[in-house]
Amino acid sequence: MATRSTNSIDVFGATLTRRQFVKTSGILAVGVSVVGTSPLRGDTPKGTVAKNSLDPSLASSWLEIHPNGTVTIRTGKNDFGQGSVYTAYRQIVAEELSVPFEAITTVVTGSTDQTPDGGGSFGFLNDGTPNLRKVAAYTYQALLDLAATKLGVPKDKLTVKDGVASGGGKDISYGDLIKGQQLSLTIPVKGDLTNIIGLTVDGNPPMKPVSEYTVIGKSFPSSAIREKVSAKANWATDVRLPGMLHGRIVHPKTLGSTLISAGKLDKVKFPSAQVIVKQNLVGVVAPTEWEAIQAAQQVAAETKWTDWKGLPGTAKLYQYLKKESDWTSTPVMKSGATKGDTAAALASAKKKLSATYQLSYMKHAPIGPTMAIGDVQADGMVHIHTHNQNPQELRGEIAKMLGTTIDKVVVHIYPGPGHYGRSNGGNAGAEDEAVILSQAVGKPVRVQWMRADDIQWSTQSPASFSDVELAVDDQGKLAAFQIDHYMPAMQDDRLVGAVLAGLPTTPAPDVRGDFVTSTVNNISDEWLYAQAPNVIERGHGTFQVGQKASPIAVGLRDHSMRTPVQFQQNYPRELAISEAAVLAGADAIQFRIDNLKEERAIGVLKTVRESSGWDVRPSPKPGVATTGKEPVRGRGVSLMLRDGTYWACVCHIAVTPDTGVIKVEKCTFAVDPGVIINPTHLKRHVEGGAMMGISMALLEEVTIDESGVTQDDWNSYPILTMADIPEIKVELIPNPKVGKYGGGSEAANALAAPAIAAAFYDATGKAIRRLPMKPAYVLEALKA
Amino acid sequence: MVTINVNGARREVQAPGDTPLLYVLRNDLLLTGPQFGCGLAQCGACSVLIDGKEVRSCITALSDVGTDQEITTLEGLPGRWAKQKGLSQEEAKNTLHPVQHAWIEEQTPQCGFCQNGMMIKATELLESNSNPTPEQIKAAYTTSGISPILCRCGTYKAVMESVQRAAAIMAKGR
Repeated sequence: MATRSTNSIDVFGATLTRRQFVKTSGILAVGVSVVGTSPLRGDTPKGTVAKNSLDPSLASSWLEIHPNGTVTIRTGKNDFGQGSVYTAYRQIVAEELSVPFEAITTVVTGSTDQTPDGGGSFGFLNDGTPNLRKVAAYTYQALLDLAATKLGVPKDKLTVKDGVASGGGKDISYGDLIKGQQLSLTIPVKGDLTNIIGLTVDGNPPMKPVSEYTVIGKSFPSSAIREKVSAKANWATDVRLPGMLHGRIVHPKTLGSTLISAGKLDKVKFPSAQVIVKQNLVGVVAPTEWEAIQAAQQVAAETKWTDWKGLPGTAKLYQYLKKESDWTSTPVMKSGATKGDTAAALASAKKKLSATYQLSYMKHAPIGPTMAIGDVQADGMVHIHTHNQNPQELRGEIAKMLGTTIDKVVVHIYPGPGHYGRSNGGNAGAEDEAVILSQAVGKPVRVQWMRADDIQWSTQSPASFSDVELAVDDQGKLAAFQIDHYMPAMQDDRLVGAVLAGLPTTPAPDVRGDFVTSTVNNISDEWLYAQAPNVIERGHGTFQVGQKASPIAVGLRDHSMRTPVQFQQNYPRELAISEAAVLAGADAIQFRIDNLKEERAIGVLKTVRESSGWDVRPSPKPGVATTGKEPVRGRGVSLMLRDGTYWACVCHIAVTPDTGVIKVEKCTFAVDPGVIINPTHLKRHVEGGAMMGISMALLEEVTIDESGVTQDDWNSYPILTMADIPEIKVELIPNPKVGKYGGGSEAANALAAPAIAAAFYDATGKAIRRLPMKPAYVLEALKA
Repeated sequence: MVTINVNGARREVQAPGDTPLLYVLRNDLLLTGPQFGCGLAQCGACSVLIDGKEVRSCITALSDVGTDQEITTLEGLPGRWAKQKGLSQEEAKNTLHPVQHAWIEEQTPQCGFCQNGMMIKATELLESNSNPTPEQIKAAYTTSGISPILCRCGTYKAVMESVQRAAAIMAKGR
């Protein structure tokens, strides 16, 4: 029977429309009306939906409840190891819908034709309200309205448990409620599908009170883990298309070289291979992977490039940043914490410190180099099969590169190695190159970067430095704190293959770039020491090193990496606060507590003090040594607020003065995220982030000469191994009264560096103000 | 044509002898447990067992694998365990190796890309040492092979706990 009657009701700003007596499958369709001010990008008129996209005004875009009571959820975010979409998101939706965790049987992530909202795979929990939570909350209200009508019981007299609504002695399951009906619920959404943030569900539907939670707070396992462990996962690396060729890229000799001539392929040795040249992009394709690899090596050896020397080199890098970079074109940013008269307080203070802190360039260094399959088809459709943190942004960028519209581009997403931020702006490196090669040969092409490509041609986390001036008063409290952060632009979202091939792509970061790709250096590390009377924090930005000098506009391309900007700002601040405690003759944890107001910050410090076995005393430790074969020991602390979560970390270290080797012996974390959704997964991710943070603090520095990155493998860019891991303790502090879910995993990376550096001072009485704390820099610090 | 013995079955492969075993496994035999991580034997993402020893398939030429050598990939771990325990074929189909069980129970992987090597190394270790100490586990993952087995997500502690759990499962014989 066709639809015959329609009625609509308002559901907290959403609209539920019911058309009755449709005998097709009953699905509660939760649709979306676009009410934001920003039109959808990529030549899609406002309010309409590009082909090959889910209509955001249709139910199935976000959440489907099936007649059998099972639920499908869809999110543009996908999994990079956080597991959130397979654990936390299911728990959140189950909670808001009042269904069991197991009822959510299908989680669809990432692929641009199967998920509605776009946005980068980061900030999974952020302000505590991911899109799906609001969608679930609207849906729940709509279901209650339906149940009230069906059961003839007022909405406020209904209760729901395990997907069954009850009231007045009657009950009905969600499945039965929607059977035989066509329902649609429109909800408000704003944003831009193909930018870094994507679409955001708007409005304020009522949410379930935290006190009634039954699903959130339990450690459900991730369904993705079983698949990966049992070799059942279909990784991006496993995708094979009919007729597909394997591709390798011959990247330029330097970060500023142009092509003189591409090497001639040895057709005797490599009869099936082809060389493709598009301006400065040189690719080799072949039917088998081994032929492609060997042919690319042969062609690379005979390809001629211009020379280029436009980088300062590692030894002169900080001098270059300090003296030669343009810090005046970009507006200086000030934080909201600014107060008092810092200059006057510093001028009159008796106990003060002036110091500069340096951070290295660091690599995201995914364990698998970037790969993608491009499939440009005869009818103009473009399919990309890959693993990417922002598939919709990639879709928009590929459309721009090819001069087509987003309805012609589909990005298919599969599991892959962690990217740690590198692809959150839509690309990790291989995607556009695969598309360009596929277009050239008319077949699907799988581009796999080799390890050297991935170290030398990927983006990196930018080097930076910060100048600090601070003073403590006679009572031992922080009297003035001034910090100036200097960092080149951090978010270069250009497609590198498009840059090399001379094709359109998003602009390089500039003063007038958009909010993401700008040279502006915002203050990202929230100020916590609220008792300090005089505070000023300034962010100074500049252009990427070598980009303007490079004839191909490449140079050192930067990209956000775990805890971006805040890592670069929290390390100098927290290390300086530990030095302020020394100046005050105070214990570093007590000094922090004495300058804080926020109870949650004090809480994590007290917890980490207790749990780590911290000995309360000023630094340095009595009996410090700066020479000798025997290790000396110390401990340091750090504190941070990120994405609604308070973090404190204590590192206990041993330093061997004669070798400059630092070993972290114990690492203790206290974490207060407010509501804890999945304790096991949060703990595992804090542990992992802590290890990556220790790796960054002790080992990681991208080394450059005047032409490019000089490392090309894991021996030259070493990361932490199992032999180097400390004892690690993680204290999770549930704080349900906060009522929000703070962010979980990435912040852990940032805590180790300032805690280890403070521990180094504690052990040796010498300040170390440079990352990484590798032996050569440690020995310099000991001699200073 | 080269014949190799993979996961208990003889497989015929048409690939040049200098082809790294990794590409033969992944592209010719569609055994995609081993992953390409570096191609340089520096990370362990591509590890397989050959006659019970963890080797890097990315630098092992097809022609260097003997016809009688037994290659075990991640896909072959359940069968390897089933054979060791004398389980029936039906039981073998529905089982996982204790190492895989432990990895699920401990929720070990994050991105999981390196975990093939982590599980292969665990299997090698536990077949020669049924109850390794933390120091022995660390040594297995760092100094026993051609290079350390690397994890960028930092799951090393989880891996250590998982090896110990796998040892406990194996001791119970399930």
